[in-house]
Amino acid sequence: MSECSVTPLDGPALPYSEALFFLDDRGRFTSANDAFGQLVGYPAEVLPGRALASLLVPDLPRNGLLERALRGEVLTLELPVHGTDGQRRDLLITTFPLLSQYVLVGVGAIARAAEGARQAEKAVLKREQQLSIIFQAVADIIFVLKIEEHERYEVIFANRALLNATGLNHDQVVGCYVPDIVPADSLELALTHIRQVVQTKQRATWQTTSDYPAGRRTGEVCLTPLFNAQGECCQLVGVVHDLTIQKQVEESLRASNERFLYALKATTDALYDWDVRADTLLWGEGFEDLFGYRLENNPSTFGQWADFVHPDDAPRTVDTLRHTALRTQYNHWQQEYRFRRADGSWAVVFDRGYVIRDAQGQAVRMLGAMQDITARKDAESTQRLMTQELLQHNADLQQFTYIVSHNLRAPLANARGFVDLLTQVPKDDVVFDTSLQHLQTSIEQLDLILEDITAILSIRDKLEPSRREPVQLAEVLGQVRQTMDEVLRATGSQLTDSVPVDLSVFGNRAYVHSIFYNLLSNAVKYRAPSRPLRVECAGHCTSQGGVVLTITDNGSGFDLDKTAGEVFQLYKRFHTSSKGRGIGLFLVKSHVEAMGGRVEVSSRVGEGTRFTLSFD
Amino acid sequence: MKTFLIDDDPLSNYLTEHLLRAERFTSLISTFESAQDALKILQQQPAADLPRVIFLDLNMPVMNGWQFLDALTPWAAKLQGRCHIFVLTSSLALSDMEKAQTYELVDGLIHKPIDRAEIRAIRSRLREEAGAA
Repeated sequence: MSECSVTPLDGPALPYSEALFFLDDRGRFTSANDAFGQLVGYPAEVLPGRALASLLVPDLPRNGLLERALRGEVLTLELPVHGTDGQRRDLLITTFPLLSQYVLVGVGAIARAAEGARQAEKAVLKREQQLSIIFQAVADIIFVLKIEEHERYEVIFANRALLNATGLNHDQVVGCYVPDIVPADSLELALTHIRQVVQTKQRATWQTTSDYPAGRRTGEVCLTPLFNAQGECCQLVGVVHDLTIQKQVEESLRASNERFLYALKATTDALYDWDVRADTLLWGEGFEDLFGYRLENNPSTFGQWADFVHPDDAPRTVDTLRHTALRTQYNHWQQEYRFRRADGSWAVVFDRGYVIRDAQGQAVRMLGAMQDITARKDAESTQRLMTQELLQHNADLQQFTYIVSHNLRAPLANARGFVDLLTQVPKDDVVFDTSLQHLQTSIEQLDLILEDITAILSIRDKLEPSRREPVQLAEVLGQVRQTMDEVLRATGSQLTDSVPVDLSVFGNRAYVHSIFYNLLSNAVKYRAPSRPLRVECAGHCTSQGGVVLTITDNGSGFDLDKTAGEVFQLYKRFHTSSKGRGIGLFLVKSHVEAMGGRVEVSSRVGEGTRFTLSFD
Repeated sequence: MKTFLIDDDPLSNYLTEHLLRAERFTSLISTFESAQDALKILQQQPAADLPRVIFLDLNMPVMNGWQFLDALTPWAAKLQGRCHIFVLTSSLALSDMEKAQTYELVDGLIHKPIDRAEIRAIRSRLREEAGAA
């Protein structure tokens, strides 16, 4: 392989003066051309015969170089001369011997202005520096391989990018051979391409990934052959474009896409993409799964979705969605609404979307997800019911606390007081006897309250459906009427019973008995003193298969506004004249509710009271 | 010393009346089984005829003790310093005790049955007040 004389860079044309002169062996001009004459400021023709020394600036420090040149050495030296005009000029001359029959007969020289030569050198130097900076600063890796025998390739140049990318230092690269640098797993690939370039003399490009000290690197290598004068490939210039980051981005994009696809599969939501201009909805697979539809067209029209929204929810759903997207600048929209499933049932969905707008703020697309929250909603309402029941139980417990602290304690306090009083009054005093009587009454009251508590405790829980039975209302009312016959007659009361014989409720016979008994007892107890009591019991079946029962009296009535919801509370009384304990209506309400019914009351002072019982 | 007993429970009124009499607290005792009736009298009576002491039950139908006190509020100036109201209840609830303290007209809360020590304490308090005046 021949020595290479490649200059990869073409410099600018040097300011080449082509000034020539020749001297004899004693240092006199034998000839000089015009260019040299102009350079030194003498007409060329006056120079032959003159000694070169006569042109030199006198008293210069001698360095012996000129003497050596005159002795035949090839030298480049600086030569200060002064011309006819007296001006000093610095020349740079390169001497060569003139030989005749191997004997020195004179010296020839090429001269140029030293200043120009120096500037040219500087320019070359500067260029080299700039190129060097470019080579080192360029992001791409650049290297030069020298081709040696036996397919050996030595790195003779490598820029900083190569060192940075690989993490190798200069000495681990420059002066080393390819197998010392390229890791084993991609070495064969590299060598194959190098051989191919050398053989085909064509540029080759390939991608390679290898593990270097700095980490895994992926790059695109471009290898270009350089040729010597004989047209042989003597060097290879390689440029590597680092694709590592691009590869990483591609990899993370791929992973992210994959994650998204799995997320789509994992979610049970119906994802959609609303193309606002086309007014179409592109559905994710969740839509068909969630609502049981088979989409004939996907994307489908916006109207197809809107048609499935519950008519009652449509204004705050479809209308607000369109308004948000088309009339506002908001990006977020969300709504809870009912959506019809393919089987006609209603799903409660939570829908959340994001509006994508163009630079002018116009809605272009909206991406969103419909989430079926029916189960959650059901659970919520179950929970609400449970909470209500718990609150009710809590209220009941508070009433019991109240009973213990007041109603149970009232007769007990009296009893204690009478015992105290009995010790203070003489035995023959009438107060003693009365107190003894009152003590007995107080203890009887205590017993009654305890009976009440037992009764209340037995109906605090809802009657199990399994323990219910059909109860014919007219029959039970007849029994109660018989029980109360004496008191009704004694008070001159009249009871009208128009409850149909076959009207029945599904419940408990004892409860129905208690309801009639308490309501009728109340009617008698609170009858108007000015007129005989009239009570009317009526009942009918509703169109929904329920039962409604009314018990109306013409008694003294009470002011519903003043009693504000306390009518059915335990130990609440609304009359001062009669002896009521305040448990009757509480029991009525408890019994009705235990059988799944409701009780309402309407009343006017001086006119009467009506209780309405409804069972579904 | 004119005294009113307001309680819907006649047994309780009888008991309190005779406990007061046994202690010779006073012989001028009027009992009311309805707070409304007592209220009417208090509103109509001139200041000089007002009772020195009222024992008031809390749990009563139609108008309970609190409603009675609220209804008296417009006459507070007339009552202040002349008429001493003691809540006399079988309730042991702390909430009733706290609520009673919010009424300026209420001088104290006594749990039923009232005993001799409590009667004497009220009497000496009223005597001190009369002496100071």
